[in-house]
Amino acid sequence: MLTWLEQRTGFVSMVKDFLTEDIPGGASYWYVFGSATLFAMIVQIVTGIFLTFWYAPSASTAYESTKAIYDNAFQHAVLSIHYWGASAMIALVFLHLLQVLVWGAYKSPRELQWIVGVLLFIVTLVLGLTGYLLPWDMNAYFASQVAINISGTAPILGPFIQRLLQDGPVMGTLTINRFFGLHVWLMPAALVGLVGAHLFIFRHNGPAGPPVEDPRPLRPGRFWPDQMFMDTVISFFVFIIILFLATFAPPFLDQKADPTNVTFVPYPAWYFLALFGLLNIMPPSLELVGTILIPTVVIIVLLALPWLDRSTLRTFGSRAPILWATTLVVFIVVVLSIYSQVSIQAKQAAAAQNPVPKTAAAAPASATAVANNAPGGVAAGGKVFSTNCSSCHGAAGAGVPGAFPPLAGNPFVTGNKTQVIRVVVNGLHGQISVKGSTYNGQMPAWKGNLSNSDIANVITFIRNLWGNKASAVTTADVSKIAK
Amino acid sequence: MSNPSVDAARAQAAKRKILSAYDEPGTHEEITRRTFMANATLAMSGIIGLGLAIPILGAILPHGGEGAGTWAPLSPAEWKSLQQATEKPVKISFTLKSKDAYLPAESIDEFVWGLKTTEDKMRKARPDLFTSKGAEVPYPVVNMGFVIFSPICPHLGCRFDYSADQNKFLCPCHGSQYTREGAHIAGPAPRGLDPLPLRERSGTADVTWIRYAQSTPSRIVVSYTS
Repeated sequence: MLTWLEQRTGFVSMVKDFLTEDIPGGASYWYVFGSATLFAMIVQIVTGIFLTFWYAPSASTAYESTKAIYDNAFQHAVLSIHYWGASAMIALVFLHLLQVLVWGAYKSPRELQWIVGVLLFIVTLVLGLTGYLLPWDMNAYFASQVAINISGTAPILGPFIQRLLQDGPVMGTLTINRFFGLHVWLMPAALVGLVGAHLFIFRHNGPAGPPVEDPRPLRPGRFWPDQMFMDTVISFFVFIIILFLATFAPPFLDQKADPTNVTFVPYPAWYFLALFGLLNIMPPSLELVGTILIPTVVIIVLLALPWLDRSTLRTFGSRAPILWATTLVVFIVVVLSIYSQVSIQAKQAAAAQNPVPKTAAAAPASATAVANNAPGGVAAGGKVFSTNCSSCHGAAGAGVPGAFPPLAGNPFVTGNKTQVIRVVVNGLHGQISVKGSTYNGQMPAWKGNLSNSDIANVITFIRNLWGNKASAVTTADVSKIAK
Repeated sequence: MSNPSVDAARAQAAKRKILSAYDEPGTHEEITRRTFMANATLAMSGIIGLGLAIPILGAILPHGGEGAGTWAPLSPAEWKSLQQATEKPVKISFTLKSKDAYLPAESIDEFVWGLKTTEDKMRKARPDLFTSKGAEVPYPVVNMGFVIFSPICPHLGCRFDYSADQNKFLCPCHGSQYTREGAHIAGPAPRGLDPLPLRERSGTADVTWIRYAQSTPSRIVVSYTS
C-alpha cells in the first residue's frame, strides 16, 4: 500500500525525509520556541477562517456582527481563542526572537533565515494592529484612529500612507474593508509564504544548537518522535493556557464606535504598550523620534544584525556587548510597558470620576474605565449590561421614550435593592410610571439566563452609573430571591 | 511487480542525465531556439503580471477627494445655547448629513465648541491664528461675537473635553491641554485648537465642518465633509 503510494507520488519518502533531521545533541526542550510559534499561528488561521463566516466588514455591520458572535456561546468561544491566540503568538514570537538573539543563532550562514524571521515578527505585529480595528467598538475606533494618524505623521510618505490605510479622508467603512483585507488575506498570505521560506532555509542549514565552546555533535535522525514529542508537549501547554484565558478572561466588547465621545481613554494591545509609552514620554518637538524614528532604527538594526556582529563566536563570554544591549532593550521595553499600563489606568480612573452624560451620546467612557474606583463588581456588571441590557435601556441608561424606561436617574433603581433584584430575576410586565412617563413593556426574567453573580454585578453597575449612587448588591442578596 | 530500489536508482540516473544536459550548449540552432523560448516565457509572464498589477494597484489607491464644504445648520435651540454662552465654552450639538462611502447617507450627531469672545481678545490669546505662517485660517476667526472650535484634538485626532474646574480643554488620549481660547499649554499637540467658520442664516447660524491634518504645526485641510 505504502509502496504503491510512494511509486505514484513520492509522498512516503518526502514524509520520511521530513521526520528525520540531524539535531545537535539530540532532541531538546531548548528547540521548541519556533514550533510553538508555528502552532499558535495554526490556531490563529483555523479560528480566523471560521470567524469570517460570521463577521461582516462595513461600518454598519462590523460592530453588529461582532456582537452577534459574542451572543453565540460557541462563536464567542472561537473568538476568545482567536483573541488569546494572538497574544500567545506574539509572546512566542518575542521569546523565539530573544532566544536567537541570545544564542547568536543569526550568525553566518543563517543570515537569511534571521531576516525572514524579522519580517515574520513585523507581519505578526501588523496582524495584531489590523485585527484591533475590526470589532469597531470604542477602543477599536480610537486606538486605530491614533495608530493611523501616527502613520500620517511620518516624513514625506506619511500623508499618503495614512490615506492608503484609511482609504479616504477620514476613517469609515472603507477603512474597515481595507483592514479586513489586510488582516484576513494579505498579511496571512505573507505570513504563510515567509514561514515556508523560514522552514525551508532552516532545513537547509540545520539547527544552530546551543552556544557552547565545542559544538555538540549532530545526532542523526529522529525528529520524529523525539523532538516532535517535546514540541507537542509545549504546544499542548500553550493551548491549555489559551483555553484557560479564553474561558476565564474572554475579550470584552465595548459600546459601538462613537466618534463624538469626549472622555474615552483608548488603550493599545499589550504588545504596543512600549511604543505607547515612548509616545507619551517624548517632548512634543521630538514626537517623531518616538513614533517613527526609534521603531524604524530598531527594525533596521535587527535586519542588519548579522553584519553588525560579524564574529563567528557564539559563546556568551565572547558576546558580552550584544548580550548587555539585548538585556537593556528588554528592560526598557518592560519598564515602558508598565509605565504605560499604569498611566492608562490612572487616566481611566480620572475619566470615571468625571462622567459627563450631558446627552445620550456622551455615554460613560466605558465599563472598564469606570471600574477602577467604583464598588467591586461594577466592571463585571458593565460587561453584563452591555451584552444583555443596553439594547433596550440604552448604553447610557437613558432608555427609549415611550418604550423602555430609563435607568439613569430612576429612583426605583437606586431605591430598595430587594425590589430591583426581584425585577431583574423575575421580569416585569404591565404598566409602570417612571419620571412622569408611562411604560407598558416586557422586562424578561433573567433567572436561568444570568448567574446570580452576574445579576448582582449588573444591579450594582446600574445603581452606580450615570449619576446614580446606591449600595452594592451581593451574590448572596440575589440568591435569597432567586433561590 | 517491479523492485522499488531498482526503480529509484533508474530515476536518479535519468535525473543526472537531464541535469548534465543543461551544461552542454548544444548546436547553434538549439541555442537560438532556446533563447527565444526563454525570452518569450519571460515576456508573457511579464505581461500577465502587468495585466494583474495595473488594475490592482489602481484599485488600492485611496478613494475619495477633498469633499465639498458643507454648512451644517444649528437648530434654534442650539443657537440659543450658544448665545447664552458666557466666558465658559459651550458644547453645541447639531446633526450633519453624512455619507460613508457606499452606505446609505445618514444623519449623524456632531458637536463643536463655542466661546463668546471678541476679535481683540482672540488676537491676544491666539496670535498663531492671525500671524503664524501656515497656521492662520482663511476665514474670520470671530464671527457674531463667537469663536467655534473643531472638537478634534490637533494631536492625533481624539475628542477633547472641557473641564470646568480647571477652565481648560483636556484631551483624554495623550494629555494635551488647551486654554479656553484654544491656546496649546501642555501635552504633545503641535498647535492650538482649530477654529471653524460660522455664518448667520435667517435668525440662526451654520457652522462648516472642516478637518485639518493631525499633528502638524500648520493647518492643512484634509476634508470638508465628515
